[in-house]
Amino acid sequence: MPGPLLDVHDLKTQFFTPEGVVKAVDGVSFELNAGETLGIVGESGSGKSVTALSLMRLIPPPGRVVSGRVIYDGNDLTKLSESEMQGIRGESIAMIFQDPMTSLNPVFKVGWQVGEPLMLHRAESKAKAFTSAVSVLGKVGIPSPADRARDYPHHFSGGMRQRAMIAMGLTTTPKVLIADEPTTALDVTIQAQILELLRNVNREFGTATILITHNLGVVAGMCERVMVMYAGRIVESGPTEDVFAHPKHPYTWSLLRSIPRLDADRHEALKPIEGLPPDLIDLPPGCAFHPRCVFAIERCKRDTPVLNRVGETQLAACWVTQSGTELRDA
Amino acid sequence: MIDPVIVEAPPVATPLATRRAIQSYWSAAFSRLRRNRIGMASGALLLFFVLVALAAPLLARLITHTNYSSQDLANTFANPLSPGHILGTDDLGRDELTRLLFGAQVSMGIGFLAVSVSLAIGATVGLVAGYYGGLIDGVLMRFVDIILAIPSIFLFILMSILFKPNTVTLALIIASVGWGSIARLVRGEVLSVRTRDFMVATRALGARDVRLIVRHLLPNVLHVLIVFGSLYLGSVILIEAALDFLGLGINPPIPSWGNMLTNSETFFFHSRWLVIWPGVMIFLAVLAANLFGNAVRDAFDPRLRGE
Repeated sequence: MPGPLLDVHDLKTQFFTPEGVVKAVDGVSFELNAGETLGIVGESGSGKSVTALSLMRLIPPPGRVVSGRVIYDGNDLTKLSESEMQGIRGESIAMIFQDPMTSLNPVFKVGWQVGEPLMLHRAESKAKAFTSAVSVLGKVGIPSPADRARDYPHHFSGGMRQRAMIAMGLTTTPKVLIADEPTTALDVTIQAQILELLRNVNREFGTATILITHNLGVVAGMCERVMVMYAGRIVESGPTEDVFAHPKHPYTWSLLRSIPRLDADRHEALKPIEGLPPDLIDLPPGCAFHPRCVFAIERCKRDTPVLNRVGETQLAACWVTQSGTELRDA
Repeated sequence: MIDPVIVEAPPVATPLATRRAIQSYWSAAFSRLRRNRIGMASGALLLFFVLVALAAPLLARLITHTNYSSQDLANTFANPLSPGHILGTDDLGRDELTRLLFGAQVSMGIGFLAVSVSLAIGATVGLVAGYYGGLIDGVLMRFVDIILAIPSIFLFILMSILFKPNTVTLALIIASVGWGSIARLVRGEVLSVRTRDFMVATRALGARDVRLIVRHLLPNVLHVLIVFGSLYLGSVILIEAALDFLGLGINPPIPSWGNMLTNSETFFFHSRWLVIWPGVMIFLAVLAANLFGNAVRDAFDPRLRGE
């Protein structure tokens, strides 16, 4: 059995701002197996996008990956030279961004842009890359792709642009596809289509997919495994079904209670999580979630919990559940 | 390549034949420019000056049968429409029309050369400063600030003394000051373009800095260059004429519209046309350049669209 496709160990990314050091990603470790779908969920500022950008080494200044390893194909991506990294980006690991409206260059024809990775990585001619792009555009469900490839991005609707972005990521058949909130800017019906497309891509090409989202429903419908992030750390991870059925971290537990459910009583009020996300420059001592946590014990204010096995399949960073306490309504 | 079909393309609702013609930003801008009558007329006048400049030696041989420096001391200050001299002669009996034709070479040559060089330097500096930011940006832009802070006429005078002006060096002297404003404009535009998602998305495809700057940033700031370049042409022609007039530019016997003005000043009271001809030429060239520049700006500046 070969090792994982992507092995991330103790990744730390910090932004050095005039106000202080922002610990956007603070010691994240996970593995991604070939062909797997992994969801990363968390609220805004929890470090999910920064984690993805760190893998690609696309952190804008004043940010920097300060420590950790990202092992892909036997190489530590954090140690590669910039030009070696350029050979990985778009070739082995592709990324899709949140806002399809601004992710395409407005001055170029869509087909040209979709074919660009082939020009970059396969040294294909402009004409050949364009032909390949037309075929990929057809595969992601763009009608009459040969005509649409000659259009400019502003002729495309949001859903079509996101399809084009996915096509762009797929031209080189990468091993890993990182989708950073690919459906956030789209309306609900288009969201469903794009997720269906991503599922098909994963099935047909065996592309391991990391799906970053704040939408728990998206993760439930799409991912085999899920990681929940809070304040730059992974607080819980495990098979999606188990995490959703029996959350082992109070944050996940609270999150799941804060979204509407079809099977709940009609007049049952949603239960928001009290308080605000912590300031990443000045994190609370101990567990970053303890000020908002209804289960917090004395130890949570003192010691930072580490990710440990809780239950059969899950990992959680919580002193309460690690000591065997079940999370239940008070 | 990818083989399996992931998604069936939905049926096409409208027949392909009815699809509208696809207009890129550029073809839309050009068609807006073509519809602007004043713009096209001034563009044609500008083109006429360019053609005259290019064909000056030929025209001189075929029409005026003389060259710009051949003197005829027996026939000085001839009136316009006198035999052999359509626009008359100057104080040394040189044919005025021939000299104006060659003067166009100086104005147009320096005009286009200085604009091109300014654009090339300004665009490069602006793109690099805006793209990399930080220290590189700071150093380059402070240098621009310094250049733009010194009164340009003083710089022109200084450099005209240091380098013996001919058509090429004078163009470079003018460009050495002109690139600063362009660099600033381009940098400003780059700062707004580079934060857009497609720049990160393209980096995520594995594109290198050079490719990002040349293939992705440059086309997005090209409209700034086109607009500024066409408006700048008029100022360059005027600056060049002024330097010639002050004796700091192209010097006689090579005729330029500016030094012809200087030369004829003295004779204003008895040979008015010697002042009028080069003055009218400068006026027409600058007016044509500015009107054309305005038309180009109206057509190409995305901020002015939809009025």
